[in-house]
Amino acid sequence: MNTEQVLKQAENLLGTWNKETSHPDPTRLDAVVDTNDLHASVQAVHEAGWGYLTAITGSDLGLVDGRMEILYHFCSGPAVLTLRVRQSRDVQVVVPSIADVIPPASFFERELQEMLGIHVEGLNNSDRLFISDDWPEGVYPMRADFTLEQAAPVSVSHAAPLPEEGVVSGNTFVVPIGPQHPALKEPGHFEFTVDGEIVTAARMRLGYAHRGIEKAAEKRNWNQNLYLFERVCGICSHTHAMAYSMGVEKLAQVEVPLRAQAIRELVAGLERVHSHLLWLGVAAHEAGFDTLFMYSWRDRETVMNLLEQITGNRVNYSANVLGGVKCEIGPEQSRSVKEGLTYLEGRIRHYLDVVTTDVMFLNRTRGIGTISFDEAVRFGLLGPTARASGLVRDVRVEAPYGAYLRYPVSAVTETNGDLEARFVVRLKELLVSCFTMRTIVDNLPEGPLSVRVPRKIPVGETISRMEAPRGELFYYIRSSGGETPARIHVRTPSLCNWVSVLEKAVGRQLADVPMLIAGMDPCFSCNDRMVTVSRSGGSQTWSWEQLRQHGIEYYKR
Amino acid sequence: MATNVFDMCPASWKQVISEVRTWARLNSIWAVHFNSGSCNGCDIETLATLTPRYDVERFGIKLQGSPRHADVLLVTGPVTRQARERLVRTYEQMPEPKFVISIGSCSISGGVFEGCYNVGGSVDEVVPVDVYIPGCPPRPEAIINGIIQLLTHVKEGTRPVAKRPEQTAEVASSQQERVVA
Ligand code: SF4
Repeated sequence: MNTEQVLKQAENLLGTWNKETSHPDPTRLDAVVDTNDLHASVQAVHEAGWGYLTAITGSDLGLVDGRMEILYHFCSGPAVLTLRVRQSRDVQVVVPSIADVIPPASFFERELQEMLGIHVEGLNNSDRLFISDDWPEGVYPMRADFTLEQAAPVSVSHAAPLPEEGVVSGNTFVVPIGPQHPALKEPGHFEFTVDGEIVTAARMRLGYAHRGIEKAAEKRNWNQNLYLFERVCGICSHTHAMAYSMGVEKLAQVEVPLRAQAIRELVAGLERVHSHLLWLGVAAHEAGFDTLFMYSWRDRETVMNLLEQITGNRVNYSANVLGGVKCEIGPEQSRSVKEGLTYLEGRIRHYLDVVTTDVMFLNRTRGIGTISFDEAVRFGLLGPTARASGLVRDVRVEAPYGAYLRYPVSAVTETNGDLEARFVVRLKELLVSCFTMRTIVDNLPEGPLSVRVPRKIPVGETISRMEAPRGELFYYIRSSGGETPARIHVRTPSLCNWVSVLEKAVGRQLADVPMLIAGMDPCFSCNDRMVTVSRSGGSQTWSWEQLRQHGIEYYKR
Repeated sequence: MATNVFDMCPASWKQVISEVRTWARLNSIWAVHFNSGSCNGCDIETLATLTPRYDVERFGIKLQGSPRHADVLLVTGPVTRQARERLVRTYEQMPEPKFVISIGSCSISGGVFEGCYNVGGSVDEVVPVDVYIPGCPPRPEAIINGIIQLLTHVKEGTRPVAKRPEQTAEVASSQQERVVA
């Protein structure tokens, strides 16, 4: 079936619920539905097995327009279906929860609640999402009339225990992990209730790295935002910048030169290699296999050298500009890329050998955290985590964009769905990437590196999907014709993959938990949203102030 | 307790004990890393500093899991509201003498995140900073340079005078007064 037919199918599914249809571009179907019909239409789409829910975008259209919009994006291959619900912003906006049909939607719905003050009916969780504990009630940062003054912190007692501190209540023992913890390289917080060694419940809270980038983007011009979005995440910075610039270019109706597209894909490939090798090291470290950690980071320096040689920087390389790229691949660069790739391919094969034959390591990975194909679909997993369970979720393959049309990649899948499979998938994927990069370097099209993009971007909205090292990255960009964007919404892959950890930790030994977390390759900076922790009181003989004072005195020396 | 024994020692012993301490301290700096909401760029470069290519372990520097065992706090990120209180408490848990290195432009001034609603601004508004390493992210060489600066000062028994471009002479002099315990 081609994209047109797939979209037609969606249109038929919606039937009379669909009040207004439009096709913003040939791969998209935009349907306005009534709030009352929303649940039924989502159910119809879901039950017919039409694609998967990829994101929910809420946006405040402003005081003049006087409405709020909630967009439900579904993807099936290259086709994107958007269900659009509109309500007046002057009264409390209420939408029904669809988490009973699609469980992972609860993450997105809680974001709506937190950021825009939209009441999601049926979502019985009003805990803080990713806004800090000292955020005042009833203030919503993504509303059009939000000002910084409104967000003055409510006072929190410096002496009070933090919600993260461990508690013993009754017979259960809760092991708190994070925000500062040796097993985490980034701030997150997990609470595992244990019975002996076995985890009986798992919860997490993120939001430590939530900076408020989406709001800040509305104050900066299109060009400045490129560098801001690059810093959503320092590991996959190129993918973020690329998703953003491809979206803006689509809005501005600018055609990026072929050479620039190819260089973008090349840098994205190098980024995937650096990201996966980094992950391999960290994951091995969690398993106590520090030798592998050190080796993979040593080899990663080869990629870092290449990135530096091509772009001038090791991290946050800013290879993109709006309308193209700013770095050229000359004969010298292509020679070093090829040399580097040859070396890396050898090493990656070696690592593939290690993770599938080392008995000690296999004890930590084989048969652990197994996610079946059906579960992967139900959890809405993305990227290598999904592919390890045999679910092909790879935008490069499903909906090729940019240079992936000319230099296609094949999806790598495994069927076991355990931790071992996730190692194997990522490493095999690197071999595929290396092969593609070699092809690109050998067949670079001639031409300019960039074209001009106007300072003001025409009115419109667009969706930009891209395969980041961790899975599908989703950008929603709306312009109102000015020098700054009207709304940018980012949905990062880690957000969709958390469920796999929380569900799979229960019933496992506590010692497996760091491996499970590492197995999905989480990126806290990217996703910072969360599931909150509730605190139950425990008895303490000392008051907190006393304990704290004691601690400070004790360590004074 | 231990303080009293030390206080009872004759001056010459004290001298020797201090020298031994400084020697030990210089060769075994243990660091704890705290991410206060960074983009990860600085964190991966910090980690790269510890791995074979740059290998700061040759100076006896080691990343340590617990703040209670650490001498140096490496802070990255612009201090988000949710991280602020956690940063203070991590700092308080470290035994004296303790040093703080602020890594990356956004930990120094907010950098690219300046003005974001959930961002405090800079690390030195929350905990006293000894060494600033600018860059977005700084290269591993820059991080090593920062660490070496710190070591030089530890050797001399002084606090490094941290300099931020806009820092006033007053702040700098008050920092100098905090001599190593
Ligand atoms: S200084 Fe730059 S690279 Fe470092 S954490 Fe901040 S934004 Fe990221």
